[in-house]
Amino acid sequence: MFGWYEIWGLTPGNIGMLFIGGALIYLGIARKMEPVLLVPIGFGIFLVNAVEPTLGNLMVFHDGVPGEGGIKELMEGKIGVLNLLFNYGIASEIVPLLIFLGVGAMIDFGPAIARPMSFLFGAAAQLGVFVVFLIAYLTGWFDTLGEAASVGIIGGSDGPPTVYLTTSLAPQLLGAITLVAYSYMALVPILQPPVIRLLTTKKERAIYMKPQVREVSHLELVLFPILVFTGSVLLVPKAAPLIGMLMFGNLLRVSGVTNRLAEAAGGAFIDVLTFILGICVGALMPAEVFFKGQTLAIIGLAVVAFAMSTAGGLLAAKFVNLFLKEKINPLIGAAGVSAVPMAARVAQIEGQKANPRNFLLMHAMGPNMAGAIATSVVAGVFLGMIPH
Amino acid sequence: MPSDWDEALKIAGQGFGATIVALVAVCAITWLVGWILQKRAAWKARGGDKEEGDAHQAR
Repeated sequence: MFGWYEIWGLTPGNIGMLFIGGALIYLGIARKMEPVLLVPIGFGIFLVNAVEPTLGNLMVFHDGVPGEGGIKELMEGKIGVLNLLFNYGIASEIVPLLIFLGVGAMIDFGPAIARPMSFLFGAAAQLGVFVVFLIAYLTGWFDTLGEAASVGIIGGSDGPPTVYLTTSLAPQLLGAITLVAYSYMALVPILQPPVIRLLTTKKERAIYMKPQVREVSHLELVLFPILVFTGSVLLVPKAAPLIGMLMFGNLLRVSGVTNRLAEAAGGAFIDVLTFILGICVGALMPAEVFFKGQTLAIIGLAVVAFAMSTAGGLLAAKFVNLFLKEKINPLIGAAGVSAVPMAARVAQIEGQKANPRNFLLMHAMGPNMAGAIATSVVAGVFLGMIPH
Repeated sequence: MPSDWDEALKIAGQGFGATIVALVAVCAITWLVGWILQKRAAWKARGGDKEEGDAHQAR
């Protein structure tokens, strides 16, 4: 009944994945690291690895890719319940787009509008995406440009564009890439400081910035999502779905007359979508799909992506300082990595270590939010340039 | 090893460039709108003071 290598129908790979799932649940609950994602992902891993393959199939795979089909195939037993959620929610790309709508409803772009050069730092902080894209492809670790781009976008440090792009270009890597992306976002307080200290002097980190940020009028806040959407999609049309959803959610928030919709979008709506995303992503990782050389490569390259993105934002801020009379603290450039609000908090903490008078959080929130727009643009650029 | 190095380098270079251009455009639009609205607010404030001055003179 069981091979010598199996225990209750589970292979060593399945058992390894159960440990990984358990570790993610521990990190989410006990360490409070991205719990709203790591807990569902961890449990999704349990669902597809704890059940002996011939018993109830929650997620059916064909050649490492989730089986396609709808209600009819589900009733015929050709696919599982999680296949249905995956096909209609994730593979159709609806769920990541609607999550981004909710994100837009929660974001305050005020600090970015008050200091528009924040968008330059957000753009520069995408450096890691393109560097890792090149490394991933030119080393031959990933066979296609689409796979390399999906690994690279981890450097943008933003969940919905990562899921959206990977679903289009490399769905077979969605599980590993999403898991690594969200895990590393939670590790930004560990990953960024060494890069910051390597590329800046204490004197630069101690540059004082006055606490006040310019007050932004209501009209500016309302015009911003409309104009940014219009401008961005004229330049990068493939970014329209992502930026459109982000800006629509933001418009609901700032209009002042759709507060109920904004609260719904940023509340229970995004929560439901998040656990659907989490459990489906976890269910994409049976042992035979996860334990491949490419997964190790993704884990390693993600560190490079985060480091290079941090470096890009920092160096952009230092470059801009060459032309400014009133210098900015380069730490706010590092916050262009769109891990909101961790990257801004790292800037705040490192700034205060160098100069206890400094309060950089509000200054760093501008580039932090700008990074969300920048990563969406990058996803649109890849979708426009890579055939799929 | 991949054969289309040129394609990958083109995507990386043009892609990063396009990202920078798009965000520079967003930066410029945001700055311009903010500048126009601040000027308009300052003009309205000055225009309001002038109207009060004219009304006082007329009395």
